[in-house]
Amino acid sequence: MRRIVITGMGGICALGHDVPTIWKGMTEGRSGIGPISRIEPGQLRGGGIAAEIKDFDPTVHFDESRLALLDPISQYALVAAREAIAQSGLRFDGERAARTAVVVGVGVAGEETREGLYRKLYAEKVGRFHPLGIVRIMTNAPASQISMVHGITGPTFAVASACASSNHAISQAALMIRAGMVDAAVVGGAEACITLGLMRAWEAMRVLAPDTCRPFSSGRRGLVLGEGAGMLVLETLASAQARGAEILCELAGVGMSADAGDIAAPSDGGAAAAMGMALRDAGLAPEEIGYINAHGTGTVANDSTETRAIHQVFGTHARQLAISSTKPMHGHVLGGGGALELLAAIGTIRHGVVPPTLNYLGPDPACDLDYVPNEARETKVDAALSNSFAFGGLNAVVAIRRAP
Amino acid sequence: MSTVQQETFDIIAKQAKIELDTITPESTLKDLGIASLDAIEVIFDLEEHFDINLPNEDTDMENGTVGLLVEAIERQLAQKNAQG
Repeated sequence: MRRIVITGMGGICALGHDVPTIWKGMTEGRSGIGPISRIEPGQLRGGGIAAEIKDFDPTVHFDESRLALLDPISQYALVAAREAIAQSGLRFDGERAARTAVVVGVGVAGEETREGLYRKLYAEKVGRFHPLGIVRIMTNAPASQISMVHGITGPTFAVASACASSNHAISQAALMIRAGMVDAAVVGGAEACITLGLMRAWEAMRVLAPDTCRPFSSGRRGLVLGEGAGMLVLETLASAQARGAEILCELAGVGMSADAGDIAAPSDGGAAAAMGMALRDAGLAPEEIGYINAHGTGTVANDSTETRAIHQVFGTHARQLAISSTKPMHGHVLGGGGALELLAAIGTIRHGVVPPTLNYLGPDPACDLDYVPNEARETKVDAALSNSFAFGGLNAVVAIRRAP
Repeated sequence: MSTVQQETFDIIAKQAKIELDTITPESTLKDLGIASLDAIEVIFDLEEHFDINLPNEDTDMENGTVGLLVEAIERQLAQKNAQG
């Protein structure tokens, strides 16, 4: 079987506009959550908080003609992809262009553009639509833009599974590389979901926290949305070694499952099935895992269910694991979440530091594991899991291991 | 039984497709077999019916009783009327 390694990573989220800044924020235990700047107070019922990207000027990153085509979701995807590709040193000339895939996880797509157009139509009764609405809104826009900007001509598409989209995208790309269809892939996920309409829809589900995101903690009251993108360059170990590229870590295995149960309530069985599959696929024993970047949304149901699932998969080793959720820092980035969280897991293996679970007040009897509360911890980790569990009962888990 | 309580019970019975006389003020939505999104839909129907907003802390799906829900609705209605 072809081994797959990660040779580039890129990211943008509330913690910063590149991976070094994001990682610094994660190890310092900085939270990007705050009052929403782009929605007027009073238009929301709840706390009106999110993890927004700050000080982002798209004109610094894109020329005018490109920018006209880009909803913020594609802007974020392109910024992260450029960083990841630059780090990898890959060039997509000659055969390489067709032997590279682009797979991007997206939860809800170009919402800012969509809401802007509909507000004109329904509220302002303006009849004329901007002609570039469709190409900004479409779910495949981020993947298409990455392929166009970088001249990548291999299999290119979007993957949608709500909050598990990134991890499903990474899995799909990994399987294409293993199958020999391509030798490299630019993969990840993106979301730009902090709009009035979507915020109101999330509020109506009664899962948004009014105060902040405090995963696995007593007194947790829900999730906090975030925005951004995470991107990775995957390639075969042989390709990376032949190029003399720096290998950040190995993408060891992937696991996917569906609960086939409730559309919203999580299932420990489904989550455990995906984690178990990722371990088997990676050829890793549960005892070899040192860190789990948890889905850890901060809802009462997710965090207790995920804890039960970890107990089921890891048995007595569950208590030896360092587990953290980085969502109190970058928010719940839906389709982009898994990729940003994989950056945390890669950082942990490379730098020997586990990012903490912020805002932890104290133990909940239903969450009885080591969640690395509030402060980063230095510890050597050789292999890690990154969990994503989506509404719709869709689960995807990625296993990584120290570079060979 | 107050009108608010009667109307609340009617809405719960209809949404959950259960007999009206199985509902008591001591029942939790969980006891009545109303979980997850079904419970959120019940709360939504109540908000629509009474034209009020019920904050999350008044809608504990796990342990909150129907009686507490009725009290929360009455509180919101009183607030609304006071605001005129």
